[in-house]
Amino acid sequence: MADTCPRCGFAEVASDKCPKCGVVIAVYQASLDKMRRGPQAGGSPLVRSSTPASTTPTPSAAPRPSPETPTPAAARPAPATTGTRHAIFRGSGSSLFGIHVINALLILATLGVYFFWAKVRVRNYLWSESEFEGDRFAYHGTGRELIIGFAKAVAFFFLPITLLNTAPELLKASPIVVVAARMTVSILAAVFIPIAIVGARRYRLSRTSWRGIRFSLRASTRQFVGIWIRGWMLTSLTFGLYYPSFVTSQQRFLTSNTWFGSQRFAFDGRGRDLMGVWLGTIVLFLPTLGLSWFWFAAKRQRYYAEHTRFTGARFRSTVTAPKLAWLTISTWVGLLLTAGLAWPWLTVRKTRRGFAWLSLEGPLALDTITQQAQQVSATGEGLAGFFDADFGLI
Amino acid sequence: MGMWGPFRGPHLQLTLRLDWEAAYLDGRTAARRRATVHITRTGLDITLPESGARLFWPFREIRQTQGTHAGEQVRLERGGELSEALLIGDVGFLSAARAAAPEAAHFHEPGRRRLRVGLTFAALVAAIALAVGIYYVGIPAVAAVAAARVPVSWEEKLGGAIVDHFAPPSGRCEDPVRQAKIDGIVAALTAKARPQPYTFRITVVNSSVVNAVAAPGGQLILFRGLLERTDSAEELAGVLAHEVEHVLHRHVTRAIFQQASTGVLMAALVGDVSSVVAYGLEGARTLGDLQMSRAAEAEADREGMRLLQEAGIDPQGMITFFEKLSRREGGRGGDPVTRYLRTHPTTTERIATLRALAAAAPKPERRLLPDDDWNDVKSLCGELPAPSPR
Repeated sequence: MADTCPRCGFAEVASDKCPKCGVVIAVYQASLDKMRRGPQAGGSPLVRSSTPASTTPTPSAAPRPSPETPTPAAARPAPATTGTRHAIFRGSGSSLFGIHVINALLILATLGVYFFWAKVRVRNYLWSESEFEGDRFAYHGTGRELIIGFAKAVAFFFLPITLLNTAPELLKASPIVVVAARMTVSILAAVFIPIAIVGARRYRLSRTSWRGIRFSLRASTRQFVGIWIRGWMLTSLTFGLYYPSFVTSQQRFLTSNTWFGSQRFAFDGRGRDLMGVWLGTIVLFLPTLGLSWFWFAAKRQRYYAEHTRFTGARFRSTVTAPKLAWLTISTWVGLLLTAGLAWPWLTVRKTRRGFAWLSLEGPLALDTITQQAQQVSATGEGLAGFFDADFGLI
Repeated sequence: MGMWGPFRGPHLQLTLRLDWEAAYLDGRTAARRRATVHITRTGLDITLPESGARLFWPFREIRQTQGTHAGEQVRLERGGELSEALLIGDVGFLSAARAAAPEAAHFHEPGRRRLRVGLTFAALVAAIALAVGIYYVGIPAVAAVAAARVPVSWEEKLGGAIVDHFAPPSGRCEDPVRQAKIDGIVAALTAKARPQPYTFRITVVNSSVVNAVAAPGGQLILFRGLLERTDSAEELAGVLAHEVEHVLHRHVTRAIFQQASTGVLMAALVGDVSSVVAYGLEGARTLGDLQMSRAAEAEADREGMRLLQEAGIDPQGMITFFEKLSRREGGRGGDPVTRYLRTHPTTTERIATLRALAAAAPKPERRLLPDDDWNDVKSLCGELPAPSPR
């Protein structure tokens, strides 16, 4: 049977094992089924009855139907609606500040352990207050997943790097060993950053849903590490000229491997289209004291939006360099002047603006989309924390 | 357009709204379906009018994941990770469900949001109090315990790295004969001290900075500028006694622990913010460290004075030298002395304390070195510059 792989989306799966990502299809499907059913039907000895028969009789005389699946929407005609759509952020700074206060108290009281649950609470709020087409997004990550991801990142990435960095010198090893260890550390760090980017994005997308359908990133990490290393090498060899192609190839990889349920995003941008702006940015960088960077950043945001498609619709961004520069600089200044205390309000403001700039235009066919969730661990998320790399989803 | 139904519970006689408009997400498709929800005593009866399907969700299998903040819809989920969901726009549903069914007690009560504001305010006060307590009591105590557990060999390695940073080999003054006299002062100081595991070594740096640094593990760094400003061996002995006590009390090792934990404390308070803020906070932290280091300085003064007295060295040298520095306090900002004062705040209070301590003990007769010899030792880094007009 030639089928598509449920994990990475590889189209030519002939046997029961995907030749690209190596997942065993049947095992993967079984674990996804378990995710859908939940713990109460997982076959453990502590199974709770999923029918309410054992509960106390209800005064209501309502008949108790079995929880049966209704007919799928795909059976009905799927009208593709058109028009300009915006996501709307409905959160408020004061609510976010309230969440932050409780988080700070619990983090202090637990000597830091609550940090991961605090992160979940903030994300929960931000996701829940983001609305598209009348429906809110939802965040499904848990503090437990994040702390396990963090522990794995410490054990497999942070500890080896720290040991390699310090052990040769502390043990007074020969200079050759010290140099070799240093080089290994640089190579590992160079590899960990792309692993963190892909891992964090994979985890966050898999824990994000809209209308009950999960997002996912389906691609091999190895491929992205290749893109990253090749891109860095070419960028250094060309003294930065290759940079637009490098960032665009990252964007292509991350966007075109992003799925919403069974529907894939498409990206058709090319790095060379940004070359002119990039050259201008470099030339003007010193005369404008670095502000020309915003020119490139705004152009890149607009270009990436316009070259991202979802079903029949295309994204569009109205961001301009002055708008982006003002938002970024005023956010920094605000954070600095308030020692970070204003961040709930500044985050709300930033998200609102970001949503207002971005729109989705054209026919959007949602009704044929079905759930295709992914099994994902939070290790990449934990790793991303070490690199101070915050990769926004939107 | 919900219907109003009567509800007769065992001990309440209220008219509750039991039927609500909702949207249903089946967790399999991206379609949003219209649904009506009827609250029963044990669960929710859900009808999907378009297909006529009916579902029953027992309360104990329902999780509420949204609808706890103003303006949020109510989101109820049931099932595993890929759950079905029910969206209800009116938060009044929550109050109705809680009133109608004891099993729905885990739902959020919108009526308590005012109370939550009060609790949040209380949490703010508690968080600030806790942070202050951790900063002034918790962190110093933990740092002291942790620093005491660090093996001396680790401190020595760390100290070696600090010495290499402040005094790269090319910037050191090498003069074995004069250096031996300075080493002799440290030997005199530590000979009578209580048993301790450190081997003290002094590195003199060819720099006009008026400063001395105690690295962990017994390495002392003496800058030429400070050496040249001393007028007798007793004055230098006072500075060295102070630095030796920093080493014995592991002040630097402790400060490293304190700095690390203060960073974590600030991260906890400010939250998940970008590195930009981290730079801003760095300044606040340095100020705080300075505050903390004053206590360590006072301790090194006190104990240093005791060390001098135990070694039979005239403590007046320490007082004279600190007074000399104190007189320079009003000097220009770029003055090397002022730089020393920033990390070693010489206040009149500090000198008064030293005086009182010195007066309590008998004054020794012996001098460490004659003044002529000392002028020779001072030129360890080469010829002395012409006396400054100041």
